Amino acid sequence: MSLATALRTRDVTELPGKRDEAWRWTDLRGLIRVLPAPSERFEGDVGQGPFDRLADDHHVLVNGGEARIDVAAGKKALAVLRLVSRGAGAHASRVTVNLAAGARLRLLESYESDGASLAQTTLVIMLAEGAVLERIVLAQDHEDAVSVSQADVLLAPTADFGQTVVASGSRRQRIETVVAHPGGRASVRLDGVYLLDGKRHSDHTTVVTHTGVDGVTNQLVKGVVRDQARGVFQGRIVVNEGADRTDARMGHHAQLLSDRAEVDAKPELEIYADDVSCAHGNTVGAMDEDALFYARQRGIPEAEARAMLTEAFIGQVIDRIWFEAARRVLRTWAGKRLRG
Amino acid sequence: MAAVKQTVEHVASLEKYKHGFVSDIEQDFAPKGLNADIVRFISAKKDEPQWMLDWRLDAFERWLAMDEPDWAKVNFPRIDYQDSYYYAAPKEKVGPKSLDEVDPDILEVYKKLGIPLREQEVLAGVEGAPRYAVDAVFDSVSVVTTFKKELAQVGVIFCSMSEAIREHPELVKQYLGSVVPVSDNYFACLNAAVFSDGSFVYVPPGVRCPMELSTYFRINAENSGQFERTLIIADKGSYVSYLEGCTAPMRDENQLHAAVVELVTMDDAEIKYSTVQNWYPGDPETGKGGIYNFVTKRADCRGDRSKVSWTQVETGSSITWKYPSCILRGEGSSGEFYSIAITNGRQQADTGTKMIHLGANTRSRIISKGISAGKSSNTYRGLVSAHPKAKGARNFTQCDSLLIGKHCAAHTVPYIEARNGQSKFEHEATTTRLSEDQLFYAMQRGLSQEEAVQLLVNGFVKDVLQELPMEFAVEAQKLVAISLEGSVG
Repeated sequence: MSLATALRTRDVTELPGKRDEAWRWTDLRGLIRVLPAPSERFEGDVGQGPFDRLADDHHVLVNGGEARIDVAAGKKALAVLRLVSRGAGAHASRVTVNLAAGARLRLLESYESDGASLAQTTLVIMLAEGAVLERIVLAQDHEDAVSVSQADVLLAPTADFGQTVVASGSRRQRIETVVAHPGGRASVRLDGVYLLDGKRHSDHTTVVTHTGVDGVTNQLVKGVVRDQARGVFQGRIVVNEGADRTDARMGHHAQLLSDRAEVDAKPELEIYADDVSCAHGNTVGAMDEDALFYARQRGIPEAEARAMLTEAFIGQVIDRIWFEAARRVLRTWAGKRLRG
Repeated sequence: MAAVKQTVEHVASLEKYKHGFVSDIEQDFAPKGLNADIVRFISAKKDEPQWMLDWRLDAFERWLAMDEPDWAKVNFPRIDYQDSYYYAAPKEKVGPKSLDEVDPDILEVYKKLGIPLREQEVLAGVEGAPRYAVDAVFDSVSVVTTFKKELAQVGVIFCSMSEAIREHPELVKQYLGSVVPVSDNYFACLNAAVFSDGSFVYVPPGVRCPMELSTYFRINAENSGQFERTLIIADKGSYVSYLEGCTAPMRDENQLHAAVVELVTMDDAEIKYSTVQNWYPGDPETGKGGIYNFVTKRADCRGDRSKVSWTQVETGSSITWKYPSCILRGEGSSGEFYSIAITNGRQQADTGTKMIHLGANTRSRIISKGISAGKSSNTYRGLVSAHPKAKGARNFTQCDSLLIGKHCAAHTVPYIEARNGQSKFEHEATTTRLSEDQLFYAMQRGLSQEEAVQLLVNGFVKDVLQELPMEFAVEAQKLVAISLEGSVG
């Protein structure tokens, strides 16, 4: 059951639906009765991407295709990866990212669509010992698009993987990251922000499996949901037998800014080792009325006060991004969205 | 020296599951297996009216069409539903009975278990000691219910379910299956078809039940399942506290316990439901035997400002699979769930709660403490949801897991579904092992390792123990110690 299989076989019954535990809140089967025709090749100009100016190395996939990004041992790189959908067809993309020992990469990834497309992206990301990858994802899909991105991350001991996903949702949007964590002082940060309005939907799903001793995982996901939008967070941390001294923290916090907004969360811990320290926290609620009152009392108009508080709320996640230039881009993007 | 003696006795009693004895009591069985005739047999045995039989047969029909669920984090071989007795009852004399007519062998069983069935025995205790009425369910039937007269004086109905069907059909018809519908789930549906007995409580408006009510479940017969059904109705402004306890003999085969508990609270009413579950957990080494405890427990807070509080101490059963839940329908109603689940040996538990906020300003609180030791697996699974109309809904959840040993597992699977902007949900969870520093500190003060662990564990579960009625809290504390015996070192 996967969108990738459904696209390959053109069989709608392969689509995952709400009866599949991992897709209970992101039902594709109930949504898509007929698969759209495969996307046609797009030859035109796709315009500028959000991170274009930050890097020279651009990988652009329009309506599917394959890309490969390799960084040799000890080298440093900065790359832009754009997954663009044009039109209303269905397509799949495949990206391989390979970091040799001690390599460092900043990957600036974006999802862009302009209509009711159905896109599936598979990423395989491998980090050898001592490699460092910061993956920054901006998913700004069209409100009618259906987009599923699935990344498999394989880490070697002492590797360092940091990720921040910023999403504005779409008809159905899912960003899934599955990390094989070997422990051995490898470290993982899996952050996310979702800012949803209208009838948009966004699903952040992560699974981290600790298989060896001394692993660290730190996760902070925050979301703001307005109108009739729906935010989904599914985070799972697994600590296998023997993966002692694992330190894992997970936090998910969401603000619901309207009566018809919805947030569904499932922060899971699955622990098979005893010498661990694992915790998760989850809060869902309205904006802090006291803070809002304080701001308004200081003469700040309500709309601006709300935007400001929300900006501060998600700012905590954006601030954790290592790459300063990307931090600036995302902060500006979020500010515009909140005031737009 | 009393303390020394107590410790010696305590250690001796820890050797094995102390309720594991079998009593040789003459019993009536239904033929083995399950079909419509067995359902008719059970109904006939209990002299039930036609409507009850029809209800059962309808449930059985629906059950045949259902599939056994498999989503819980528990593993067990497929249950052969035809290889079990669905009705086992101690042979009894006909006609209404007083305690004196109850088979002395059965009384002996309860005496051995420390359950006071003679009212004077309850009273004979220390002056001012709390009293509680007992409904004793032995395999498929209720053998005796105490203090009925005294309760009747204030209008409280406390009797076995079979009696309620005969004596108060209008209440049973109105409420039975109204909280847990017949085809709610596979095991609840099976229960609806073959349920044999259980307790029925009705507390009239404005009455505060003068004593604790309790049911004591005992599985004795071999190859039999226990399917009891409990229904408690607290009418407007009333209050009742209800306790249940359970044990079973040690056997190599698994026995199924699929109960259904339905609670209904009207305006301003409150039910406090406490469970100390100590079914036989199976052999700790091989995992052989033990009870499958697949229970559906649900409360419907229908009235405004009504309240239901579930407290459970789960130490027994080879597999526990249950989620005592609250449907918070009435405005300002509240639900609470306090749980200690301990697994040791090869036990598996997948337990938690569901708080479904439907009404405005509803509140819920979940405190769950899971302890896993040995080669066991302990899962907290819970749902907190707020309907769009549940403005001002509030939930606080805390679930902590403690791991003792290298081969055990602890999982936390909370589901949070917020569907309106005016509700507030908070959830926090931790999973750790016993702190070395704390252990060291306690041992440095002269406690043995075992005692130090007990002290820390009791501290860990304190929040929940506090919620138990006094007499159960002491029992539960001991039970916690016993359940963890042999898990350290």
